[in-house]
Amino acid sequence: MSEQNYSSNEVQLVVFKLGKEEYSVSILQVQEIKRITDITRVPHTPEYIKGVINLRGSVLPVIDLKKRLNLPQQVSTEDTRIIIVKVDELSVGMIVDAVSEVMTINQENIDSPDVVAGSVAASYLSGVGKLENRLLILLNLEEIIGVGQDAKVV
Amino acid sequence: MDTNQYMGMFLEESREHLQTLNSCVLDLENDPENLSVLSEIFRSAHTIKGMSATMGFTTIAELTHEMENILDLLRKGQLKASHDIIDTIFKCVDTLEQLVESVATNSESSIDSKPLIVKLKALAKGESVLPVAAKTTTKVIATEISSIELSDTEIAVIKKARAQGMQAYEVQISLREGCLLKSARSYMVMNALDEIGEVIKSIPAVEELEKENFALTFQVIVISGSEADKIQQTVLSISEIDKAVVLPCVLPAENNGQVIPEKPIEQTPKIQDEHEKTANVAVTAQPTTEKKNRSGQSVRVDIDKLDTLLNLVGELVINKTRLEQIGLTHKLTDLVETIEQMDRVTTDLQAVVMKVRMVPVGQVFNRFPRMVRDLSRDLNKEINLIIQGEETELDRTVIDEIGDPLVHLLRNSIDHGIEHPQDREEQGKNPIGEIRLIARHEGNNVIIMVEDDGKGINADVIKRKAVEKGLISQGEADAMDANEAVRLVFLPGFSTAAVVTDVSGRGVGMDAVKNKIESLGGMVDVETKVNEGSKFKIRLPLTLAIIQALLVKVSEEIYAIPLGSIDSTINIMPSDIKTVQNKEVILLRGQIIPIVRLANVLTIPESEHQQQEEELFVVIVHIGEQRAGIIVDNLIGQQEIVIKSLGKLLAGIKIIAGATILGNGQVALILDIGSLIQ
Repeated sequence: MSEQNYSSNEVQLVVFKLGKEEYSVSILQVQEIKRITDITRVPHTPEYIKGVINLRGSVLPVIDLKKRLNLPQQVSTEDTRIIIVKVDELSVGMIVDAVSEVMTINQENIDSPDVVAGSVAASYLSGVGKLENRLLILLNLEEIIGVGQDAKVV
Repeated sequence: MDTNQYMGMFLEESREHLQTLNSCVLDLENDPENLSVLSEIFRSAHTIKGMSATMGFTTIAELTHEMENILDLLRKGQLKASHDIIDTIFKCVDTLEQLVESVATNSESSIDSKPLIVKLKALAKGESVLPVAAKTTTKVIATEISSIELSDTEIAVIKKARAQGMQAYEVQISLREGCLLKSARSYMVMNALDEIGEVIKSIPAVEELEKENFALTFQVIVISGSEADKIQQTVLSISEIDKAVVLPCVLPAENNGQVIPEKPIEQTPKIQDEHEKTANVAVTAQPTTEKKNRSGQSVRVDIDKLDTLLNLVGELVINKTRLEQIGLTHKLTDLVETIEQMDRVTTDLQAVVMKVRMVPVGQVFNRFPRMVRDLSRDLNKEINLIIQGEETELDRTVIDEIGDPLVHLLRNSIDHGIEHPQDREEQGKNPIGEIRLIARHEGNNVIIMVEDDGKGINADVIKRKAVEKGLISQGEADAMDANEAVRLVFLPGFSTAAVVTDVSGRGVGMDAVKNKIESLGGMVDVETKVNEGSKFKIRLPLTLAIIQALLVKVSEEIYAIPLGSIDSTINIMPSDIKTVQNKEVILLRGQIIPIVRLANVLTIPESEHQQQEEELFVVIVHIGEQRAGIIVDNLIGQQEIVIKSLGKLLAGIKIIAGATILGNGQVALILDIGSLIQ
C-alpha cells in the first residue's frame, strides 16, 4: 500500500466487521461512512454488486463485501454501514456489518497475508495486522473493486 | 512576473477577439468603407497585441503589430481594402488562431509568421502614402496652435468627426527626464487615448515610438467627444508624464476661422486645479462610443461548478420532499404551509440553474460565415449565407457537440448542393447561391435547418447507387418513394468517394452526421427537390442533462423510459398476446408489434414478481422505424428527470442508459430502448 509512505512507520486503519472477523482498509482510501439507505438493484451485474445509491446527487455503485469475499450472508442490522472508498478515482460503497474504530498500527506489526490462508482469496488481502489478541485483515481494495477487471459487467 | 494565473483569461479573451476579428473582417470585405468596422478590427487586434506582449508571447505581438499598421493605413484611408489585403488579414487571423492554440496546448509552435509579416510590410509600403517626415519634428514642443501637417484623408476624417459633434485635438506629451521605459509610457498614452477617443496620427509614428526613436516628447492627434481637460487628465494620470498640452486641432483652411480658443491649455500634474477653469474649449459632451455593441455583462463559469450547483439544488428538492413527508405524518399544518413556499422557491431555483447552462447557438454559428466564404472562393462559387435565430438557446453540452455535424452539412451544401454561377444562370436561377442556416424552438426541441437552393438530390440516382452497392435490392428500390430514397444517404456505407464525385454527391459522412445527432438524442431528416434545393432538418433536445420520461413500475422497482421513444401506452388483456415463430406479439392497428416483458429482461426474481391475470400495461416504443411493446406492471407518470451516469464500474450494461434520482432520493434506472428491443 503506497499510502504507508506518508507516515513514518505507522498506518491508520478503519476497522470494520464482516461476520465475526475484523477487517480494515487504509483510512486514506475512505471517503465517508454512511448508514444503510435505499439501494437500487441494477440488472445484469455480478451478484456481489448490490446496486446503486444516491450520494448527495451522484449515483454510486455499492458492493456487498461479504458476497465479494465469499463469506456467509447475514441480514442487515442497526449496525450495518456503507463505507464509501475511493480507489483509482472511482468511488464505491461497500456494505459491512459494523464499523468498529479507527486505529494506528505500526508497519512492523503487519505480516504478509500468506499466514492466514483461509476463507478469503489471497489476492483480496494485502496483509495481516497483529495486535495483542486480535488479528486485523487488511484488504486490497484495488483487487476487490477490480477496476476494469472481472467486476465489469458480464 | 508570473503570468500563468492569467493564462486562462488570456486564452479566452484572445479567442473572443479572434472571433470578432473574423466576423468583422468579413463585414469589411463586404463594405470596405465602413470605418466603424475597421475601428472594431483595430481595437481587437490592438487588445490581442497588448495582452500577448504582457504575457510574453512575442510572436503573436509582432504579428498583430504589423497587422495594426495595415489596419491603421486602412483606417486613415491611405490604403484601400483590396482583396489581397483582406486575404492577408484573414491569413493573419488564422495564424494568430494557431498561435493562440499552440499556447493553449503548451506545444512548441512551429508556426512561422515571418512570411506574413514580410507580406504585411510590403503591403504597407507598396501603397502607402504615409509621410515619413516625422523625425524632424520630434524635438519640438509646440506651444502655438497645431504644428502637425495633415494629409488630405486625415483632414477628411477630422471633418467627418466634427460633423458628428466630436473634436480633434493635438496632444503634446512630454515624458519626465530620466524616464526609463519610454516606449511603454507612450504605449500607455496611446492606449489611454484610444479609450476616450481615436488616435488618428502620431508624430513620430507608432512604430518609432515603440522603438523609442524619440527624445522626450511626442504628439498625437486624437478625435474624441471628451473635453480637452478630460483628455489632459487622462494622459497625466499615467506616471512619468511630465507635461501634456491639449490643443484643438486646426485644419489648414480654418486658420483664420473663429474656432480657435483663447489660450492653449497647459498644465503640469502639480497645478491641476488652478487651470481647470480655463478649460472651456467648446466640445460637445457626446459619448464617443458606439464601440460597445456587446450585449449584457457576463461571467465565465466552469461547467463543473454548474453541475455541482445542479446537484445541490437536486439535493435540496429531495430534502424538501422529506420535510413534506414529516409535516404530513405529524399533521403539522404550519410546517406544510412553509414547505409550500419553499417548494415554489426550489422549483424556480431549479429552472434558473437549468437556464444558466443554456447558451445561444450563435456561438457555433458565428464561425460559419468565414468557412462558407473560404470554401466558396476555393470552389469558385458565389454563395450567400443567411443565418437566422442565432439567439436560440441550447444546453452547453449540446452546443459543444453540434458544430461538427453542421460543418459537414454546410460543406455538403456548398460543395455539392450549390451549382457554379454559370450553371445557375443557365437554369434561370440567381447566380449567387443561397444557404440558410436557421435555428428555432419547437416545443421542447430546437430545430436547426441547413437549406440550400442548389441542385437537390436525385432520388433515382441515389436508388441506383444504393442497389449497385448492394445496400438494398432492386425490389426494395422500386418500392421506395422519393423521400425514402433520399434518406438512403444516411446509410453507413453509402458515403464513398465514387458517389461523391460522380453523382449528386451527397453522402460525405452523412451516416456520421446522423450518428452524432442521434447520440445527442436528436433526429435528422432531409427534404429535397431536384433543381430547387435540399433542406436538412436537425431536431435536438434542449438539453442532454434533462429529459422527459415516463416512470414505470415493475414489481417494486421503478424505471424511466425516455418520452422521446414512446409512441403511446395501451392496456391489453393477456389473451391479446399471440405467438408468432415463438415470439410474443400483439396486433395494434393492423401492425404486428413484438412484445418485451420488462420483468424478464430485467431478470427480476420470479418470487417477487407474480404474473398478472388481468389487464396488462403496454408501452409502445420505437427506435427509427422499429416498434415494440414493453409490458410493465404499472405506469407512474411523466416526469422531467436529470440524467446521471452510472459510473465506470457499471458502464457497459446494455439495456441501462443511465440513472436518475427521484423526488424521494431513490435512484431509478433509465432504460435504453434501442438495445431493449433488439
